[in-house]
Amino acid sequence: MEKYAITVDDLHISYKGLKKMSIRSTFFNKKNKEKVDIIKAVNGVSLKIEKGKILGIIGKNGSGKSTMLRAIAGIFSPDKGSINLYGNSISLLSIGVGFNKKLTGRENIYLSGLLLGFTEDEIRKKEKQIIDFADIGKFIYKPVRMYSTGMHSKLAFAITAILETDIMLIDEVLSVGDIQFRKKSYNKMKELISAEHRTVIIVSHSTENLKELCDEVLWLHNGKIKMIGKPEEVLKKYEEFMGN
Amino acid sequence: MKDITKFIKNLKLYFKYAIRSAKAELKSEITDSYLNWLWWIIEPLSFMLIYAFVFGYVFKNTEQYFIPFVLIGITVWEFFSRMINGSVKLVLNNKDLITKVYIPKYVLLLSKSLTYLFKLFISFGILVIIMIFLNVPFTLKMLYFIPILFTLYVISFGIGLILMHYGVYIQDLSNLTNIVLRCVFYLSGVFYNISTRIEGIIQVFLLQVNPVAFLMNEFRKILIYNTTPSFEGLLFWLAIGSVLTYIGIHIIHENENSYAKVI
Repeated sequence: MEKYAITVDDLHISYKGLKKMSIRSTFFNKKNKEKVDIIKAVNGVSLKIEKGKILGIIGKNGSGKSTMLRAIAGIFSPDKGSINLYGNSISLLSIGVGFNKKLTGRENIYLSGLLLGFTEDEIRKKEKQIIDFADIGKFIYKPVRMYSTGMHSKLAFAITAILETDIMLIDEVLSVGDIQFRKKSYNKMKELISAEHRTVIIVSHSTENLKELCDEVLWLHNGKIKMIGKPEEVLKKYEEFMGN
Repeated sequence: MKDITKFIKNLKLYFKYAIRSAKAELKSEITDSYLNWLWWIIEPLSFMLIYAFVFGYVFKNTEQYFIPFVLIGITVWEFFSRMINGSVKLVLNNKDLITKVYIPKYVLLLSKSLTYLFKLFISFGILVIIMIFLNVPFTLKMLYFIPILFTLYVISFGIGLILMHYGVYIQDLSNLTNIVLRCVFYLSGVFYNISTRIEGIIQVFLLQVNPVAFLMNEFRKILIYNTTPSFEGLLFWLAIGSVLTYIGIHIIHENENSYAKVI
């Protein structure tokens, strides 16, 4: 068995020159080309995560945390560098999975499940469990656009939590829904990420949560690794830094 | 070659998703509406009646079997224009999905195209009923329906893929496609017969340069005029369609993971 679940090598992601254009600007504006802002969201990050480990990522807004997570999930392509997942299945849990708002919650369970690489049979077996966990009552048979923000997140969480993948990427969802659901989801999350074989990356601003959950914490600053190591040490430095 | 193997692999992986998503989409279209699935029948029927009145009665078109003639035109045209219009804003409309999970972007178009195909088949179903009423003879030549439809699909899919890509970056692309579509609509002979109404070089030009006009004409030839389709023409457009599809697949493989950054 592989020792590592994820290796990221010299990852660069920038948002250069991908601005939207109009036909006029493409054909007639060639002379005075505006200078394109190059935003380097992730700038040369390398890291290795062992199988079964839990990595926390911390950093101020705009430091490239979410971008990196999405790149690992395969949504963004890196401009330079590489990401190897060793064939593990992966899911990104962020506020709201990709729902089709016109369709019912139930139908979205199936579609999300298929996209996560499950078969219809596997999803059918877990359907009830997901619906029970999401706990949104009759709304599961209603189109997702009728959901409140809370219900939306509850269903999203339930889908990713019940349809388990080898690698879970968790983006700021430690506080979803009302107090009751928050407790339930936090416990579920603990249960999920403490499973031996599961590799997890959590992005959060809550130093307490990260301290409790993670084996290792990575501090990302302006797209670069500022520090990586034991949660207590990194989080202490981070709090000092942010305090100033 | 690499693009083709990747495309086929992805098709296998995501075909279930495309079908499920298409079914759900069709279902959602009717659950909220008052007349339900009847819209799928009412829509082509009403267009047919409008065109039949305006161009058959007002402009005195003496085409044989004018009603089936117009209905074939509408059906083919609607499929083509839905594919074009649908693809331009496709990535944008699926923003929620593609910023959260990886999906090969042509699967979005594939799924959409299945819903359009469904509507096309309803429309052709209505055509069959009308043809029975009008005593249009049914012949074996009608089996050419399948290769002609396949060609139409490949052409529309290829153009759709390319437009889908540029639609991500160019905001006002839909304005341009609207104008081009309107133009192609009038030049495709949806409600008139190009081969009898237009003469000489322009007729040849219209039927050979515009795949929609050509394919529409082929459908009419086999369904109501009982003639053999032009095989060279079909092969030619199938080849063009395949090349466009290949180019589209290639562009999308190159760029699809940057879409999430733009929208």
